[in-house]
Amino acid sequence: MSREFDLRSAVNAVSDVVANRPPPLREFDQIYMKVADMVIQAHFISDRFKDKDVVFIGDGDAIGLSVMHLTKQGTFNEGPRSITVLDFDERIVNSINRFAEKYDFADSMKAQLYNVIEPLPNGLQGEFDAFYSNPPWGQSNGGESVMIFLERGIEATAKKSEGAIVIADDQTLPWTQEVLLACQKHASSYGYIVSEMLPELHLYHLDDNPNLRSCTCVFRSVEFEKSVPVSKPLDMTRIENFYGRNNPLKVKYVRENETLNYGKAYDNSYHYEKLGEEYE
Amino acid sequence: MKNWGKSMNSSLNNGSGLIFMKVGIHANESIEDIIKRKQDEFAAAGKIFWGYGGNTCHPTKHVQPFAREYAESGNNVQLVMHKMVSKHFTETLAKEYSDDGLEWQPIPKGINVKGSRYGMVIGGINEEEFDLNLRSLIVGVGPSRGKIGADYIKGQNDKGVFVYQDSENEPEEKEVKHIDLVAPLLPPYAVFLR
Repeated sequence: MSREFDLRSAVNAVSDVVANRPPPLREFDQIYMKVADMVIQAHFISDRFKDKDVVFIGDGDAIGLSVMHLTKQGTFNEGPRSITVLDFDERIVNSINRFAEKYDFADSMKAQLYNVIEPLPNGLQGEFDAFYSNPPWGQSNGGESVMIFLERGIEATAKKSEGAIVIADDQTLPWTQEVLLACQKHASSYGYIVSEMLPELHLYHLDDNPNLRSCTCVFRSVEFEKSVPVSKPLDMTRIENFYGRNNPLKVKYVRENETLNYGKAYDNSYHYEKLGEEYE
Repeated sequence: MKNWGKSMNSSLNNGSGLIFMKVGIHANESIEDIIKRKQDEFAAAGKIFWGYGGNTCHPTKHVQPFAREYAESGNNVQLVMHKMVSKHFTETLAKEYSDDGLEWQPIPKGINVKGSRYGMVIGGINEEEFDLNLRSLIVGVGPSRGKIGADYIKGQNDKGVFVYQDSENEPEEKEVKHIDLVAPLLPPYAVFLR
């Protein structure tokens, strides 16, 4: 792994990405990773998934954009060949596509609207070398929401593939360990082993537990004779407690309201008071 | 001898659900004035919206699932408030409310709620003074579930959803907040405002 990179350049590049992210919606567990951890995570993923075609199943954090921006501007020596982000929030999808176009790497980075309740879009099944997801962490459903994202990642990748899942990991909170175990068991049922794990690593802008950390769990397929599972609509009995206790998935897409001020302060959040006559 | 928690508030028992909140009060508005103003809202609309912000009492992530669970077992959740003087108020009136963030309705006539993203739905408000030991509270919902209240109400975090634990051996350590106002939650317990 190429461990050295220019820290100032990396933080400034992630700052570009953060300034481009839409504000998070807490009700959908859009809880953003803190900036230093984004740099570390982007570096890790760019190295692990170098020269691969990677699919992100949801990416509110904008790790995919960070990876590609840092790679394309040369801060990281290596990175994925392409990244495709699938997200149910049109604000995120559009912000990624606008950014990739602005920085001239739209040929290797794109995003499209997709909700995990749906089968994968046409042409995406089994098309990628690796998947990445930081899903809702499944505290209230035994990790079911993590499994759903994991399954979509597996469906999107070829037989010989890898995947990185980011989930809560705090040894003082038993639910995080139970979900982690359930997730690893589920991955193994698809022929994946845990090839690497970075424990208790990232912190988030999470009001009700600012010290809760997540790990990165990297899975690698070892049973190549297994066929890639066919992507089907989600069994809707699985969406209960999707976003927390008594909090099922109800929204298919978050749609973006168009504005003339992308990346700027909202029109209705300020007004000007002009200089008075005494200054004229 | 100073009394703590339950001894000053007979409605808090072992396992009671409560929402603790610090509330900013205008320096020039007395508790009596607030109670009168909110009683008028109750008389007009049959409920009161108590505005607040911050994601530690998010309507659908925290308050509603917790309060519903209590209601299903025949119990109510109380909002207990620690008063503090504040200078920071926003005067923008909310025009609509929603239980789920999807379907919106006009704010009922008679209810005035200003400068808040969320509102607790309460069925009255009472002046009730007692000292609450935050070490007797356990976080009841969310990623910090099980954490001691005193370790949770820290720094910028000034509110949360808790279970009261009135153990026979009350914790030696005490981290006390004076409670000034108490209100019972009514369905749907908390709403989004805009």
